[in-house]
Amino acid sequence: MSTAIETHELSKRYRRASALTECTVTVPEGRVCALIGPNGAGKTTLLRILAGLVRPSAGTASVLDGEPRQDPAFLADIGFLAQEIPLYRSFTAEDHLRIGAHLNPRWDAALARTRLAELRIPLDQRVGTLSGGQRAQVALVLTLAKRPRLLLLDEPFAALDPLARRNFVGALTSAVTDEAGRLTVVLSSHLVADLERVCDHLILLAGSRVRLAGDIDTLLADYRVALKVENVALEELVLSYMGADEKPAGHPLTTIGEES
Amino acid sequence: MTWLVWRQYRAQAAIASALLAALAAVVLADGFHIASRWHSVLAGCAGNSGCLEQAPTLVNGVMSDLPYFTLVVPVVLGMLWGAPLVASELEARTSDFAWTQSVTRTRWLAVKAGWLLLAAVVWGGAVSALFTWWSGPINAESATAFTPGQFDTQGIVPIGYAVFAMSLGIAVGTVARRTLPAIAVVIGGFIALRLVIANLLRPHYMAAVTIYFKVTSTFTPPGQAWVLAQGGISRSGQVVGRGWGDLEPALPAACQQLLPGSPTAKSDASLNSVFSCMQAHGWRGFVTYQPASRYWPFQGIETGLYVLLAAALIAVTFVVVRRRDA
Repeated sequence: MSTAIETHELSKRYRRASALTECTVTVPEGRVCALIGPNGAGKTTLLRILAGLVRPSAGTASVLDGEPRQDPAFLADIGFLAQEIPLYRSFTAEDHLRIGAHLNPRWDAALARTRLAELRIPLDQRVGTLSGGQRAQVALVLTLAKRPRLLLLDEPFAALDPLARRNFVGALTSAVTDEAGRLTVVLSSHLVADLERVCDHLILLAGSRVRLAGDIDTLLADYRVALKVENVALEELVLSYMGADEKPAGHPLTTIGEES
Repeated sequence: MTWLVWRQYRAQAAIASALLAALAAVVLADGFHIASRWHSVLAGCAGNSGCLEQAPTLVNGVMSDLPYFTLVVPVVLGMLWGAPLVASELEARTSDFAWTQSVTRTRWLAVKAGWLLLAAVVWGGAVSALFTWWSGPINAESATAFTPGQFDTQGIVPIGYAVFAMSLGIAVGTVARRTLPAIAVVIGGFIALRLVIANLLRPHYMAAVTIYFKVTSTFTPPGQAWVLAQGGISRSGQVVGRGWGDLEPALPAACQQLLPGSPTAKSDASLNSVFSCMQAHGWRGFVTYQPASRYWPFQGIETGLYVLLAAALIAVTFVVVRRRDA
């Protein structure tokens, strides 16, 4: 299986602080990867570097076998959905569909229209007047209709109520199934529960550094062996590493284990 | 991309077109009125050149300030279309959407900026064309098309101003990442640069012509020349501008005595005797001017200057948009 994302010592420094420090991760193609970490851990920075919106201060990133770059072919392969759900508020969903069709070579108009019809989202209404959940759905549909090979979703659940979350996860799962292993997804959240059902890969960031990364089943199995317990939830694993700011990654806090 | 630009600007383009049509109606109505007055003046003065100098001014009141619209239009375009071009997308974060479609930022900016610069040429050119036509009879009557104020509102220079103001808005909005400060810089920057170029650079686009003549005679540069300076110059090289207040203390004592009103003057004293005296003491008259034939070369130089500055600003915008983190 080839790799979709490979970063090496990737760092991003802003004037005052480090947003990302020596991040080295690998995500194989076809995976759905959870990017977890507390607010300010560097999740957004990592996603924006992978999308080519932000340039790293140091280190390298390889996305779909190349550096993120200003190249129509690369941009066509990337589906990026920012946390703020950036749509033109005075445009209708229909306007956005037309923009998508004009600007993307692999645009899947049928997919976009079917999805929006299923969700009963009015096409002729300014997206600024839609609910936050509807707006997020429109943005996700636009991102999927690009037919990207890598989907980068920054906090996609933040604007959604529980029902909308279910719809959203459903849309995501069917997209992954449809592409049969060609679509890789990275989605960030600070809530593990959101991601547990859809993800098979994990990157855990805290304090701008990678705390844990890898296949979720493997990570859980290793953790069970280390703690000598039968069953462990992903949330416990994540929490134990998230709090481990001062300790080197790989050594879970024993207090968490005692609680379970 | 073009459809996106059209979708983003169609409402504003419609409003701008309506305003232009309204302005055109006013200018055309007033222009025909001025033209008919000028024709009746010409007919009444047929064969009598002295009569034309006595003719009433063709335009007065609020209408005489109308041509300054050609200076307002560039600023408004730069403020309302140029400044938000990149800045408003960054403010609303729609750049995250636009810059992750399958179109490079370079092409995105090239199409957006390209259409807006074309709009600047069209609107700036249309307003200038209206006022160039409107000013025709006034130019013919008073021969002032080359003088500051008139030069700036006619011909092709307003197109250069519009392209420059638009580019200034685009560039400052991109660097500042915010629309409002960019609008302020467009207003201040445009006015400041216009003052500097019109007052300090324009008189020197080409070396001015200076003509010396006998103080007892006069000389007027032919046609719509731009007179930069005129007056008298003494044998020792002392230059005195127009006006007796400046001239009187500079005159030799012998000539001062001849001035009408001075206690030593003869009762039948006239200025002619003063001029003759000055002539005898080696004074000459002079006019420094840009000949009328240089009107279009000057229009071309000034337009080129502004277009060049605009090109530099657009180049900066491209570099910033391509390189900076979004």
